[in-house]
Amino acid sequence: MHNLLNVNNLQIAFRKRKKSIKVVNGVDFGISKGEIVGIVGESGCGKSVTSLSIMRLFHDTSGEVVGGTIQFKEKDLLELSEREMRRIRGKEIAMIFQEPMTSLNPVMKIGKQLIQGIMLHLGLNREEAKQQAVEMLKLVGIPRAESIMNEYPHQLSGGMRQRVMIAIAMSCEPELLIADEPTTALDVTIQAQILQLMKKIQRERGTAILLITHDLGVVAESCDRVVVMYAGRVVEEATVEELFESPLHPYTQGLIESVPKIGNRKEELYSIPGHVPNPEAMPNGCKFASRCPYVMDICREREPQLVSNNNGRKQRCWLHQSIKEEERKTIG
Amino acid sequence: MVDNELLKVKGLKKYFPISNGWFSSKEYVKAVDEVSFSVKKGETLSLVGESGCGKSTLGRLINGLIKADAGDIVFKGDNLAEASETKWRSYRKPMQMIFQDPYASLSPRMKIKEIIAEPLKIHDPSLSREEREAKVKSILEICGIDYYHSDKYPHEFSGGQRQRIGIARALILQPELIIADEPVSALDVSIQAQILNLLKKLQKDYQLTYLFISHDLSVVEHISDHVAVMYLGNIVEIAPREAIFEDPKHPYTKALLSSVPIPDPKLKRESIILKGEIPNAANPPKGCKFHTRCPLAMSICSKEIPIMKTVGDKQQMVACHLYQ
Repeated sequence: MHNLLNVNNLQIAFRKRKKSIKVVNGVDFGISKGEIVGIVGESGCGKSVTSLSIMRLFHDTSGEVVGGTIQFKEKDLLELSEREMRRIRGKEIAMIFQEPMTSLNPVMKIGKQLIQGIMLHLGLNREEAKQQAVEMLKLVGIPRAESIMNEYPHQLSGGMRQRVMIAIAMSCEPELLIADEPTTALDVTIQAQILQLMKKIQRERGTAILLITHDLGVVAESCDRVVVMYAGRVVEEATVEELFESPLHPYTQGLIESVPKIGNRKEELYSIPGHVPNPEAMPNGCKFASRCPYVMDICREREPQLVSNNNGRKQRCWLHQSIKEEERKTIG
Repeated sequence: MVDNELLKVKGLKKYFPISNGWFSSKEYVKAVDEVSFSVKKGETLSLVGESGCGKSTLGRLINGLIKADAGDIVFKGDNLAEASETKWRSYRKPMQMIFQDPYASLSPRMKIKEIIAEPLKIHDPSLSREEREAKVKSILEICGIDYYHSDKYPHEFSGGQRQRIGIARALILQPELIIADEPVSALDVSIQAQILNLLKKLQKDYQLTYLFISHDLSVVEHISDHVAVMYLGNIVEIAPREAIFEDPKHPYTKALLSSVPIPDPKLKRESIILKGEIPNAANPPKGCKFHTRCPLAMSICSKEIPIMKTVGDKQQMVACHLYQ
């Protein structure tokens, strides 16, 4: 059990023409205070939907949590009323998104966007909130913070907008910051600045960060622990050092192997054959079986469970568990 | 002409006008400014840099999609910069493009066999229907798509398969030069590796020359023979791959390399984190355009524009006052 957030057996389905399609089926992970946890996976693996479900942000879409619990401190977020949830959203858990232009209001001055949340959640008056807002902008490294308060998002560059987003997210001192691909739309030199800023915030304020990304380089440079997702499931969890040194799941191995690495040039890159199965027609058994180089008969018949090894690592693979063990140590 | 030189670009310029109303003086964004380089047959030159550095504009200039304001584009010994549109058209056959977004660059209303056959209809109208179909079939298979799928529409394919279709369309005319503008940036890593392997294999099999435009240095190292680093419309460093990656000279190249996140948590290296942002291209800094962010800037850097000079013995050319 982690002391901040525990997600147990999360299941999310989307409705499509009266059919319910499960896009997330069996996601378990946790975050302790002050930790940076990464969720990595390729497009469609369910990592973004998982993060949205923690904030309960897809209530007006066709998506729905159909099973599991999301325990934040003592509360199950899925049980809360919308009113109670509103008090957590933005105050105790804050979120930043990939595209800083579409997540800021284009017709509202930066200052106002910052002040709103501060006044609402911290109960400060306008003057105090303004001071707090300027302080936040300085914290995230925005030069001439006072004058930026009176500017609109379009007047800023992508990197600056992402800093403003982080300032808004951090303004009520949340305990958990969810960052969904925060640097994907940015150039590498700006990405390095933003990652450095996020690590500084975590170090100085003790904020736990859930970092959702497809970039293994970003994971290696910023996370303490990593959760790997494939086809709506967690397939492996480990500390960042363990994951890169000895990945257990063949999908993790393939993913790490297929990234071109500077200073380690190969004539031919490893590539995972085939593609991700369609969520409308998921195969039985392990979802990675059709692409796995080590596939066995049992993989096509029964889906392995996410199992904890003795050293606390978790994996969902028949290579590392026997059926007996599965029955003994099933998690969640 | 140097041996085997397929493409040579000299002093290429493209200024886009930006007007701020009727009476204001004309201002320009110098998207590509005095760019020179050459590519040998069968080699890959990569253009790298951050958004707005002019790398995509440069690719479009070479393909004649936009017209240059000044400079020479010499392709197989012919200068195309002044060429008429008709002459350009005949040069687009040996010079094909692959685009970044496999969703936007294929017509959603055409079957993929029609998409791939279209260039043939234009550049090789004498072919019979059967000959065309045979060519489409063989190129699809070379690119890893079963001909069985050729009656489908682009939306029925995944991103990686669509990029294969884009590659097949570029290859069907048996081009010599392929300009690939961020061909793998929209793809997931496992698919990216498949496409990079395909591009390398095709290069070997058909002696293709690539102009590879990318912002991703780890991809660039994998695919290139030579690398040109661009910043705000200029090439700041151009050199063989090993020189760029093992012994970068320009402070911008060094910073760019050190900001790439490395997928190895044990490798704790000192990274140079640049201060500030990329300046506005409409109003770039005077002197060396990089001096506002350069950790090693000297007083001369804000006054004089550095010129390209060869440094060391590895054909490495750098535009930086540190080496003048």
